[in-house]
Amino acid sequence: MQALYIFRQIPYTFNNGPAASPETLDSRWSEGESNMTSMIVRVVAALLILITSHSSVAGEAQNNQAPDQASQASGSSVPSPPVPPDSRWQLGIALGYGLRTNPLVQSDDIPIIVDIDISWFGDRFFFDNGDLGFTFLDNEFVTTSLVGRVNSDRVFFGRTNTRFVTVDLAGAPLASAFELSIPDRDYAGELGIELLADGSWGQLQLTGFHDVSGTHEGFEIEFDYGYGWRNQRFYIEPSFGLSFKSEEMNDYYWGVPADETNVAIPGYTADAGVNVRARLQLSYQISKNWLFSFVGEVERMSDEAAGSPIVEEQNVFGYFAGFGYRFN
Amino acid sequence: MRHLLICLLVLLPVFATAEDEVQLKVRPVLCIIDERTPSCQMSFLVLWESAETGYYCLYNDFGESPLRCWTEQRSGELNDERTVDTEFSYWMTGDDTESPLAVVAVEVLRMDTDDRRRKRRSRHVWDIL
Repeated sequence: MQALYIFRQIPYTFNNGPAASPETLDSRWSEGESNMTSMIVRVVAALLILITSHSSVAGEAQNNQAPDQASQASGSSVPSPPVPPDSRWQLGIALGYGLRTNPLVQSDDIPIIVDIDISWFGDRFFFDNGDLGFTFLDNEFVTTSLVGRVNSDRVFFGRTNTRFVTVDLAGAPLASAFELSIPDRDYAGELGIELLADGSWGQLQLTGFHDVSGTHEGFEIEFDYGYGWRNQRFYIEPSFGLSFKSEEMNDYYWGVPADETNVAIPGYTADAGVNVRARLQLSYQISKNWLFSFVGEVERMSDEAAGSPIVEEQNVFGYFAGFGYRFN
Repeated sequence: MRHLLICLLVLLPVFATAEDEVQLKVRPVLCIIDERTPSCQMSFLVLWESAETGYYCLYNDFGESPLRCWTEQRSGELNDERTVDTEFSYWMTGDDTESPLAVVAVEVLRMDTDDRRRKRRSRHVWDIL
């Protein structure tokens, strides 16, 4: 914790010797930048983000605005303006590149080019990137809400392919070529309770969701913990989570019922299991509205899900790097 | 006020004069605060340069008197140690101290939110914004 405190207290420092030589303002500026660069490299080994920082900060720093003579020419002390209340709406967009691997056989990875962040928080109700919620307890210790959402496991089944195969999914040769299609799955509407808490110790999220759409009729209990560090423009947040998926849920998405079996796909029944995931987010605030961000995530599917004949990769990797803009 | 500044910025090249050739640079120009770090303890480097040698003074919003004045100079710099939690500006004046020649604003970005739900929920799958 002491190391953390020191990390956050590092101020921006610049070489500030006397300007004895006939250097231009720009050359002096570049000198200051290189000093900052060395500090940044020591603090965070995020080279990509660092490169981005140079051009953006330099461009931002030279800001010869037309002066507001009425308010500033007198040089009078300006009282701190009242902090405006947060808008109920929050809108942001990030453009970049990333992907999420697809654990299914005969499938394509999921590209991520755009990430849109849209939310609205009323007094009790809220909409947060597809989640609809009603908060019935919110205090300094915990926030508890009733939340409706769409399950995300279905997303993998939208990018499967149909191919002619000469071996089955276990690798055994077939008597003749067979047109193999990965069975489809439906989205599930789920309703559940979430408990959120945070403090100097980090952020905690505990949720329990049950299918209310009659799709898989199972449930999922998730636990996530994360801790973020900020040093001015830089932010880093590692987090990890566990997700228990019931037998009904796992079997719906990853099982192969009798009516879906064929010469290439054997039947399979998936039991309940626990997925484990870890995530790392790095970001650099370029200006008040712009930031550069990188996020990487790995999720290890439970043995029960990964044992399915339609699953070929137990680990699901994802990453995204891009520039984001917040409108408020 | 912001609209006025934008209009002036747009019109600036049209009405460029010798006075506009005073360049003022400040770094950093962004302070990020949150619950754990409610203020920024920063060392602001202020650099200025003018096309003409003369008398120039540097001010900021925190005091009525100038931070420093330069006589018969066409460039200068100042290191200003300061703890900030609100936006403020540095500006340069010439002989006429009532007419700023260049202004640079230091912005403050609050990363926390008054709504606990929003803060605690900011962890959806690709939440990077």
